[in-house]
Amino acid sequence: MKYLPLIWAALRRKPIRTGVTFLSVTVAFTLFGLMIGLNATLDYMQRKAHADRIWTLARFETTGLPLSIAHQIGRLPGIKKYSVMTYLNGYVGDPKNRTGVLFIDDEYGNIFPDQVPPEQADLIRHDRSAVVMNRAEAQILHKKVGDRFTIISPQANRADGSKNWPLRIAGIFEDIPQFPGPIIVGNYLFYKDSVPLAEQGKINEVDSLADPEQSPALAERIDKLFANSGNPTRSQTETQIFSQGFGDINAGMLTRKIALIGLLMILLLTANVVARSVRERLTEFATLKTMGFSDTRLLALIVAETAIPCLLGAFCGIILARWLALQLPSVMPPGTGIPPPTMSLAVFFWAGLCACGLILASTILPILRLSRLDIAAALSRYA
Amino acid sequence: MNIVRQIAIIVLMNFRTLRHRVWQSLVIIAGMACVSGVLLSMLAVTEGMQQAYQNSGDPRSLIIVSRGSVQEENSAVPRDQARIIVNAPGIARAPDGSPLADPGFVTGLPVQLKQNGATGWVKLTTFGKAGIALHPGFHIVAGRMFRPGTHELVAGPQLRAKFAGMEVGDKVTMPDGQWPIVGMFATGDLLDGALLGDTETVLQAMRHNSYNSIIARQASPDIFPGLRKALTQNPLLTVDVMRLPDWNRRVSADSAAFYHVLIYGVSIILGIGAMFGCFNTMYDAVETRAREIATLRALGYGSFPVACSIILEASGLSVFGSLIGALIAWTLYDGTQGTLGWDFFRLTVSPAMFGMAIFWALAVSFLGGFLPSLRAARLTVTDALRAS
Repeated sequence: MKYLPLIWAALRRKPIRTGVTFLSVTVAFTLFGLMIGLNATLDYMQRKAHADRIWTLARFETTGLPLSIAHQIGRLPGIKKYSVMTYLNGYVGDPKNRTGVLFIDDEYGNIFPDQVPPEQADLIRHDRSAVVMNRAEAQILHKKVGDRFTIISPQANRADGSKNWPLRIAGIFEDIPQFPGPIIVGNYLFYKDSVPLAEQGKINEVDSLADPEQSPALAERIDKLFANSGNPTRSQTETQIFSQGFGDINAGMLTRKIALIGLLMILLLTANVVARSVRERLTEFATLKTMGFSDTRLLALIVAETAIPCLLGAFCGIILARWLALQLPSVMPPGTGIPPPTMSLAVFFWAGLCACGLILASTILPILRLSRLDIAAALSRYA
Repeated sequence: MNIVRQIAIIVLMNFRTLRHRVWQSLVIIAGMACVSGVLLSMLAVTEGMQQAYQNSGDPRSLIIVSRGSVQEENSAVPRDQARIIVNAPGIARAPDGSPLADPGFVTGLPVQLKQNGATGWVKLTTFGKAGIALHPGFHIVAGRMFRPGTHELVAGPQLRAKFAGMEVGDKVTMPDGQWPIVGMFATGDLLDGALLGDTETVLQAMRHNSYNSIIARQASPDIFPGLRKALTQNPLLTVDVMRLPDWNRRVSADSAAFYHVLIYGVSIILGIGAMFGCFNTMYDAVETRAREIATLRALGYGSFPVACSIILEASGLSVFGSLIGALIAWTLYDGTQGTLGWDFFRLTVSPAMFGMAIFWALAVSFLGGFLPSLRAARLTVTDALRAS
């Protein structure tokens, strides 16, 4: 504690240099926070995936599934609940404003209470033409509860031949981290009664609930059951789906690489700053040594001097990243479904660890130099 | 002495003394190398994709999709409409009198990946009668073409690197059974990453009753506005008509836009970091060379040339670093095979991107070097000379 004034004086000696160090570390850790935070979100989603939920889709996209498949799946031993869902893709107003609706049956809300809050599911159960949406979607469409809007679907004809789907918003619910991105939920019966007779009873997805231990085997059993039927299926447990990540892009690897490059870039800067500030003060350090300061004490002084702007910068960087992450949904093109990064405790932990690594790496060379310092030469300013 | 000459002399002097400031200069060089290295290697993916799209298909072709569609997969052209479009006046005719217009279908097929046995998606697209005539680059490289009306497919040459069972003779699981791959084709464009089958046969197997899009050739190059008007204003049709290159540009720009937000976001943050590095280095440089600068000023050099020299030095180092980063990105990624979704293409680091790297370097060095140069310009000569 008694050396605090000494450290403070060293930091104030070149305020601009200290400021720049602080700011550049802040920038590096903002990037770090966003990148590792994105990883944290993906991890979170994977952790929160329900091992007991089985998603069954048509093996071939265009064929869809007949409603009867749901009942067959429901009769399998081990399946506790099942529900059907179908989606409608389209746009609102201009083709650029792409959106879509999940039309769900009465049971879906019970299987996915974490995707559609139960009280919201109730709202559409009693009013067929009503939909509920999350905050993200409401912001994109600039809608509030009670508003009416029309989704135009180039693909899905209604029974009357039009492609217009007029909907009324019965409720808006808060975004759920597990299912990021805009989402609109409607009543399956409305969809079914709207499409031409030939299309009625076609669904996109059957979701069922089973024991977590049994579900992978049950998913396989469902696929086997329909493998030779006219409607082959593709079933996976939710855990399996969420562990696949985003297509071909290894998001975890990429984000870690970028975070690392940012850190290395800043390491060079801080190392330079420390080296320079030590070199400029060699005489002073020699004086301190003469006064009886041990090498370890000098080491501690230099590390502390470096640590203050670095740790502060790392902390501020993560806080800034957290703020930026909250702004991201409004910057990203809508409907992409990349989840916003979350600053979990793990992110803070890794940031702290990396900041410590940064401090050590940037102080090590100056410290080595200092420990070999020739006091006499330094005092005579020839060092 | 004119200003340009003064600047040149000081800059030259600065660069001669550079070896005394190796480590500090390295902060700028390495920083900028990181920025443009990251920027260019990520942009190489979207650039490669966009170029692949732009070079795809016959530039003389038109594409007709359902109104409001922004992707082929989300478009649906019903049969009755397709018939009207194909026979519309203004569509070119083959020597035998049949229209050069080909309704096509596209979907994803689940196929095992070679790498880990997981399921990936292969693009399955189709040719009708006019298909080959509308794709001038199309030729069979192994086996034979599928026979119309039979359960046969031909595969693009890119598929076998990524997916299992994509060789001639292998079988592909379709809804109504196993379809053999009877040949391998090449077009030299995006189609090389797809399976190809006969339109009507595939539609039947997929139990689908509408096409995704129609590729057509116009009878003469200047007919487009009229043809477009005739098709889009026909009350029986609900379609959009575009030139194929325009459509490709739009589709690829759409999907690139999403990645660009991420890429530029990351690069800007890195760039700000590099800017601080540049600022710090130049600030220190001004400080160490205070006496030098003061001597120059005393000799009669103006403050503007001195300030310029600082910014020029920063720019020189930045551009150098940036080019290193760009070269690294170019050697690592240019020409390597990439995929985005189900599209196969070569990653591209284009000359324009090198220009961009230089531009970023100049921007960063100007922003980072501005304040230090101001400081150099405002140095009081007497004070600086007196300081030890």
